[in-house]
Amino acid sequence: MIENVTNIPLESLLGHVQDMLFSGYRFITATSVDNGDGTIDVLYHFDKELEMKHLRITVNKQDEIPSISGIYFGAVLVENEMKELFGLNIKNIVIDYGGHMLLSDEELDAPMSRQITIVNKDKGGEPQ
Amino acid sequence: MNGKTVIPFGPQHPVLPEPLQLKLVMQDEKIVEAIPAIGYVHRGLEKLTETKEFTQNVFVIERICGICSFKHALAYCQGMENLMGIEVPDRARFLRVIWGELHRMHSHLLWLGLLADAFGFESLFMQAWRDREKVMDIMEATAGSRVIISTNQIGGTRRDISPEMLAKIVDVVNDVKEDIERVEKVFCNDYTVKHRMVGIGVLSKENAKLWGAVGPMARGSGIAEDVRTLGYAAYGELDLEPVVETDGDCYARMKVRLRELYQSIDLIKQAIAKIPEGPINVPVKGNPNGEVISRVEQPRGEALYYMRANGGKTLDRLRVRTPTFANIPTLLKMLPGHHLADVPILILTIDPCISCTER
Amino acid sequence: MFDMIGNIFKNLGTKPATRCYPFEKREPFEASRGRVKGIEIEKCIFCGICSRKCPADAIRVDRNAKSWEIDPFKCVICGACAEVCPKKCVIMDEAYTQPTTAKDKLTYVQAAKEESQSQAG
Repeated sequence: MIENVTNIPLESLLGHVQDMLFSGYRFITATSVDNGDGTIDVLYHFDKELEMKHLRITVNKQDEIPSISGIYFGAVLVENEMKELFGLNIKNIVIDYGGHMLLSDEELDAPMSRQITIVNKDKGGEPQ
Repeated sequence: MNGKTVIPFGPQHPVLPEPLQLKLVMQDEKIVEAIPAIGYVHRGLEKLTETKEFTQNVFVIERICGICSFKHALAYCQGMENLMGIEVPDRARFLRVIWGELHRMHSHLLWLGLLADAFGFESLFMQAWRDREKVMDIMEATAGSRVIISTNQIGGTRRDISPEMLAKIVDVVNDVKEDIERVEKVFCNDYTVKHRMVGIGVLSKENAKLWGAVGPMARGSGIAEDVRTLGYAAYGELDLEPVVETDGDCYARMKVRLRELYQSIDLIKQAIAKIPEGPINVPVKGNPNGEVISRVEQPRGEALYYMRANGGKTLDRLRVRTPTFANIPTLLKMLPGHHLADVPILILTIDPCISCTER
Repeated sequence: MFDMIGNIFKNLGTKPATRCYPFEKREPFEASRGRVKGIEIEKCIFCGICSRKCPADAIRVDRNAKSWEIDPFKCVICGACAEVCPKKCVIMDEAYTQPTTAKDKLTYVQAAKEESQSQAG
């Protein structure tokens, strides 16, 4: 359904992103989606004169993902957000909040991720 | 002495309507580094949308932002319509433009007021908000609410605007146009305003692109990008030229917004002149399946929606990238080198919407 | 500077833009979505569509007790309930909810007399 998606392996992420920068693309944002089978899709969206291009990597939860914030500074917030909400292991973010950008200590780890089991007795009527 | 001081700016600050904290690392009066602390208004709306039906999500999505709610709903509805292959009736597409541009007008007028307030021009602030009230009144008279107007639904709009009301909208926007012309003179020529804004926070075209600035930020730096030119809703059938200024400073960004007000008035009049008769919505059948990306131009810039559905009633994932989310990194890069006194103006010219950013 | 002075003198000469609120109230617009006023309970068939479509989960419908309840403090006044109601018996009002001192719920119970009729039909 989405046009211009390139599936790339995790290792070549930085190389591809660097290519995007050289060909004059603007970084829009990144999206992470939990596939429900222990893997997470991460999409990186780019734009050049209103034409969009997307890079998709599929990673396991414990995989180490290099940060692209060194190349595109605009990725700082979104990478911190993915790290917190999905529990992605993103390394070397330029400004790393260490999991406390949006969440405080009391909250669950990775609330947007699928695999958490919430004990209803403690939390009281939490969905899923 | 090369001692550095850290000054916390916000989360409560007179110029900030919403909580954003910036930790400013200062050397004397100059900023060396700025680190944001967000998360004060994180509501987990993206998670909430996974538990609601996809038709109910429109109401959740609208509550992401208190200023550009209609545009959020528009982005979501357009995405779902693409995904499900729904053809929206022509009249609904034009109605969406009318309400969308009314939203842009009230958002920019609100921003102009806040800006005037930030440099202490109290009477100008009142004047701008007074003009905004007229726009809010037609919003309530046509859609039922002042801000969260809830007129979008998947497949069209929920309400129609009667011909008499359309005529009234033209009258009101003409009236507002005269008002704006009066405040525009003050904003553009006043000594105090110029003194606080010209040459402050210069963002070059290259940097705007590199750091990912969107909306009036990018257009103020000479990037002629406006998602509306892609022609979603009925924008394809209307005359539309992105408003561009080349200076890249705070003054240029303000001028972009002022000129966009005239553009919105023009678009509303064009849409009202061209609006066809006909039905305003089509029924939605079945459930969505697949993934889709939808983009719209909000008052603050481009918003991107990503949706993934699995054929059920609820969505697997709904991702919202709001314009402020993209503009905050640019702000962080812009701040170093400026004086502490210029920080409020600089923050305001990105038109921060923190509720949008954190969702 | 003189541009603003012109504005100020113009404002001095005209009526104030604001109203003297508690004494002078604006008439609500005809199309306003002010609040969900209630329900014509004798028409209700207790299908529960309104409670399922409510994005804020503000409505509780109990088929057995023949009761319909709305929490006006949870309600986001989207009007979805009035729109989907098959009997069109949810009433919207253009006036806003008045401030109150207690968070009361609005509860309607259908009279027992009607019970046998609606069960038969």
